Amino acid sequence: MTQTSSNQNLVAHPPVPASAPRGTFANLLMLLVPPIILFGVFLFGYAMLRVNLEPHRQFLMPSGYELWSNAFGLPEVRAELFQRSLITISIALTGLCISIPVGILLGVIMFRATILERAMFPNIVAFQSIPTLAIIPLIQTALGFGTLPKVLIVAKFTMFAIPITLLLGLKSVDRGIINLFRLQGASWRTTLVKACFPSAAPALFAGLRIAAGLAVISAIVSELFFLAGRGGLGQMIINSKIDFKYEQMYAALITATFLSVCVYIGFTWLGHRLFSDWHESGGKET
Amino acid sequence: MTVQAKVQLSEGTGHSGTPTGATAEVGEVALSFDNISMQFPDGTQALENVSLTIQRNEFVSVVGPSGCGKSTLLKIASGLFPQTGGVVKVDRDQLGYTFQDATLLPWRKVQGNVELLMELRGYSAEKRRQIAQEQIKMVGLDGFGDHYPKRLSGGMRMRASLARSLALKPSVFMFDEPFGALDEITRERLNDELVSLFMRNGFTGLFITHSIPEAVYLSSKVLVMSRRPGRILQEFEIPFDYPRDPNLRYTSEFASLCNEINVALRDAIEQ
Repeated sequence: MTQTSSNQNLVAHPPVPASAPRGTFANLLMLLVPPIILFGVFLFGYAMLRVNLEPHRQFLMPSGYELWSNAFGLPEVRAELFQRSLITISIALTGLCISIPVGILLGVIMFRATILERAMFPNIVAFQSIPTLAIIPLIQTALGFGTLPKVLIVAKFTMFAIPITLLLGLKSVDRGIINLFRLQGASWRTTLVKACFPSAAPALFAGLRIAAGLAVISAIVSELFFLAGRGGLGQMIINSKIDFKYEQMYAALITATFLSVCVYIGFTWLGHRLFSDWHESGGKET
Repeated sequence: MTVQAKVQLSEGTGHSGTPTGATAEVGEVALSFDNISMQFPDGTQALENVSLTIQRNEFVSVVGPSGCGKSTLLKIASGLFPQTGGVVKVDRDQLGYTFQDATLLPWRKVQGNVELLMELRGYSAEKRRQIAQEQIKMVGLDGFGDHYPKRLSGGMRMRASLARSLALKPSVFMFDEPFGALDEITRERLNDELVSLFMRNGFTGLFITHSIPEAVYLSSKVLVMSRRPGRILQEFEIPFDYPRDPNLRYTSEFASLCNEINVALRDAIEQ
């Protein structure tokens, strides 16, 4: 407070000049620099940890140089990483090819009638709650050691988010729009296709992004349990431990992370392409 | 949807393009409520013995305390909620309906939204496109056909919504407080345009509002409803000729009529 007799405190607020719009390059910089800085901090922490390890345990945390000279720099390791990536990604995507249609179908069935939702929802939750890793031995006994059981494991991991998000989206359709369709005597199917599905699509895509992120991870987890034959990155992780090639294990881990991020980005990009024009999440404010 | 009380009332050829409005022939009923009652499943009595008849090409507004069942009247007439007592007579195949919100599909551009009802009715793509363009022009949205609703103002969205309903050439057009969320200036402009659309298209209007000047300006008749359970308390004939001059709003006759209705409405609330 001022010392003046009146309580009024007039403060001059200067104008704020309009900021010039950022160019494309500056935008790109804003997009890339913050995560790179954060990653740099992480790398620094890694290096500090490694320096403080006793020398005979330093193999647990290979340096960048070792990663290159013993893994990424070797053509045969690169070829192996590439081949195994193809195997892992094909298992992950095949799993999604099962879980996405099945998940969508379940969501639509639950949307059709409340009684169906009441019947199915608890069962879906219960199915999701079965610890997948604990039933892998059972799956192996029943279905053998081929590709099918791995694909099914991925499908089980990734399915849950899809019917849940889709159902939420379908139920959140504007009542007015439903009434509009009813007034024209539109059938349930027409209403579903022309009103409910487009309206639920952004919510469904949120579920698909979760599923996509889980797909590669679950493919690798499933491979850890299937060591016969030529497998994907998961098998490489186990093998490099047995062979004491920790640099290659790290290389497989980094590649797997990269794949997972790629699948996630792919779905995010697709969602953005489809909805940015009209949906609130699209970001293009006017 | 089961339509119990559906009666074909108009021949469906009524839109030959002559400006009709209030000068239409008298005696042809477009919509009638006969002792309509509505009780909701929770026991609330929303309407009690409402009877009213609307002649063809009349424009009737209903004002009343909030929650008195005004909107329920429209839902009954359109068949969205079937009434629990009484008989309603209307041709539901020729119904236009405008909601409180524009209820545009956000994923469709204006053109696609205006085509929607025709699409549901099975019009050919060529016909849809052509009619939609005409209607978009008629409501003053020329050039906005390829905009998404997100990029339109509230008033423009409502125009698109009107165009969507007009595309089906409704013979009975119901309005459920369509301009309630708009600012005064936009609302008055849309009222002017609604009057000219009414003149040009010649439909029968049933308009729900809580603005007395809006009701008087648009209508040939204004009904005042009671508190819940809703009944029709009073009926005011509006003597002004169509087309209406925007300056009508500032005349003393207009003001005194608004005042009369205002008194009736206050009685309705205090009753």
